[in-house]
Amino acid sequence: MTVAVMKTKAELTLAEQFQSAVGALPGGAAVASMRRGAMDAFADLGLPHRRIEAWKYTDLRTVLKEPAAPSIVDDAKLTVGDLIVALGPYMELDAPRLVLVNGHYRRTLSNLSGTDAIRVVPLSEHLDQLSSHADDAMMALNTAFVTDGAVVDIPAGIVLEKPLLLVQLAAGKDARASTVRHKITVGRGAQVTIVELFLTLPGSVLDGQTNALTDIAVHDGGHVTHVKVASEGGKAHHMSNWIATLGKDAVYRGFQLTAGIALARNQVLVTFTGEGGKLDLSGAFLGRGADHIDTTMVIDHAVPRCESREVFAGVLDGRARGIFQGKVIVRPDAQKTDGKQMARAMMLSPDAEFDSKPELEIYADDVVCGHGSTSIEIDADLLFYCQARGIPPAEARALLVQAFVGEAIDRVEHEGVRDALTKTAADWLGAVQR
Amino acid sequence: MLEIKNLHVKIADEDRVILKGLNLTVPKGEVHAIMGPNGAGKSTLAYVLAGRSDYEVTEGDILWNGESLLEMAPDERAAKGVFLAFQYPMEIPGVAGLTFLRTAANAVRKKRDQAEYTTPEFMKIVRAKAASLNIDYEMLKRPVNVGFSGGEKKRSEILQMAMLEPTLCVLDETDSGLDIDALRIVSDGVNALRGPDRAMLVITHYQRLLDYIVPDKVHVLANGVIAKTGGKELAKELETTGYVEFEGKAA
Repeated sequence: MTVAVMKTKAELTLAEQFQSAVGALPGGAAVASMRRGAMDAFADLGLPHRRIEAWKYTDLRTVLKEPAAPSIVDDAKLTVGDLIVALGPYMELDAPRLVLVNGHYRRTLSNLSGTDAIRVVPLSEHLDQLSSHADDAMMALNTAFVTDGAVVDIPAGIVLEKPLLLVQLAAGKDARASTVRHKITVGRGAQVTIVELFLTLPGSVLDGQTNALTDIAVHDGGHVTHVKVASEGGKAHHMSNWIATLGKDAVYRGFQLTAGIALARNQVLVTFTGEGGKLDLSGAFLGRGADHIDTTMVIDHAVPRCESREVFAGVLDGRARGIFQGKVIVRPDAQKTDGKQMARAMMLSPDAEFDSKPELEIYADDVVCGHGSTSIEIDADLLFYCQARGIPPAEARALLVQAFVGEAIDRVEHEGVRDALTKTAADWLGAVQR
Repeated sequence: MLEIKNLHVKIADEDRVILKGLNLTVPKGEVHAIMGPNGAGKSTLAYVLAGRSDYEVTEGDILWNGESLLEMAPDERAAKGVFLAFQYPMEIPGVAGLTFLRTAANAVRKKRDQAEYTTPEFMKIVRAKAASLNIDYEMLKRPVNVGFSGGEKKRSEILQMAMLEPTLCVLDETDSGLDIDALRIVSDGVNALRGPDRAMLVITHYQRLLDYIVPDKVHVLANGVIAKTGGKELAKELETTGYVEFEGKAA
């Protein structure tokens, strides 16, 4: 017996938005049919709510009140100069970039020179390659509404020195819902650094909503650094999914920086499909005011002899809430699994909250797995040490908070990317000084 | 000139009294040593001079160049020239040594109405001072004191001291954990800072350090007061007699 649940206003709005948008969304009849299937799946699933264990701390039925209008047409006016301002420190990477504005590819702002060895094309021309992902409500919404993104293929053996930037810019005066999808394939032994940026053009409205999904397959021996920066600003919502599969001896180093977002849900699902894979997933979440930042991952050790590390650091001020949910599944065959996770939050206010929920599901007997979680305050001894060296208390606090975040950012191997991330974090922390 | 007058100190939030009417004067240009048995209050004195809030001054005053330090925050004292070389220098994960040195040096320069160091100026000065202390410049790119040996930490303290150009240097057990080579390097670094405008207070349990940093006066701190004052020969004397005489008074 199924119990009919009363639809929320937001769910009804989403259904209406889809009906009026589906004819105008890109792709042929087959794509439209897949979109309809995904929307039907969403109608059955509904918005995730707190009685679903994986959404225990982020009840979208309560917090997602008004879905913004989907961004169907690309009508924002902006120049390369605007882009340079929006990209800030990431411009200094001098890296090839594919740019989306409100979810739509902008050829005039993109610069893909130096990418001859690989294939980077807008997704809107290849929507038939999409996976439906209709078993997850937010992913189903992504399939239903997706407008554009990047298809990236790194052929076997190719080593890309410069990072590849995949940029989504929110722009304009009206709140929009942008739905973005990237599909990345890294061939055998290929090496690449990919940086996804979710930013807002300065001066634009700061309450946009993003639904982003990245499918990434790292084939045998591939080495990938995959970074995401979500910093759309003030009242923005950011729903993100990374779905990764790692082949034999593949190395996947993921990093996510979330700063200055009212509501963020970062889901990462990683499946080891070949022995000897190595995952290093880390990130920093910075919240103040009433920000709510949820990082939820499922690491599936489906095969033996793989290693996974998850290391996250949060800074929470005001009434901000940080959530870390780390599920590690070790399948019966996955002997010699080595899995560790650590989540730490620095609490700058007595009203901030950090919820950490590790879940280890271990079905094999010869494994090493561990997890840890701590909430800390700024160390009074270190504060005194800094002050004794002449550093005023506010500056000393900012230095120590930045140091805490810096430890997480240090896991990113690419120096230029690390510097840009440090700058993003420092800009956010600048306002923490008191 | 440092003038400590009738200083009474207890541990904040506790009743335990540590300093019980300590009087001490260190004129500019002089190096004074404070010796004494364990638990006599030597480190407490060092921390109180630097302004650590775990201690509460219940009576008396500390004047530096005629100005009371008691109401000043630690960073304000640092700007006035007070520097404490910690017995156990702290590790600051995530803050590169160079960033720390530059932030600190420029913070005190700003408060002293001196121009902040430009990047090239700072690099030049820090390279020279690090070299004189036998500190590998590459080490300063690593987080402050993280993974450093005992000797490296102490040299790092003296480098900070040299960069901040203090006028009152308080060295708390700087010799602890040092082998003879490290002791010589650290002492050379301290001696290089001796000068007519600088007063130094060298706190140590053992006489050994005072072979390298030769003091103008030696004070014995026992039971929370200065129990005896003498010349540098007093240190040698204590090396043979020990602190029994002073501990006896406590009984």
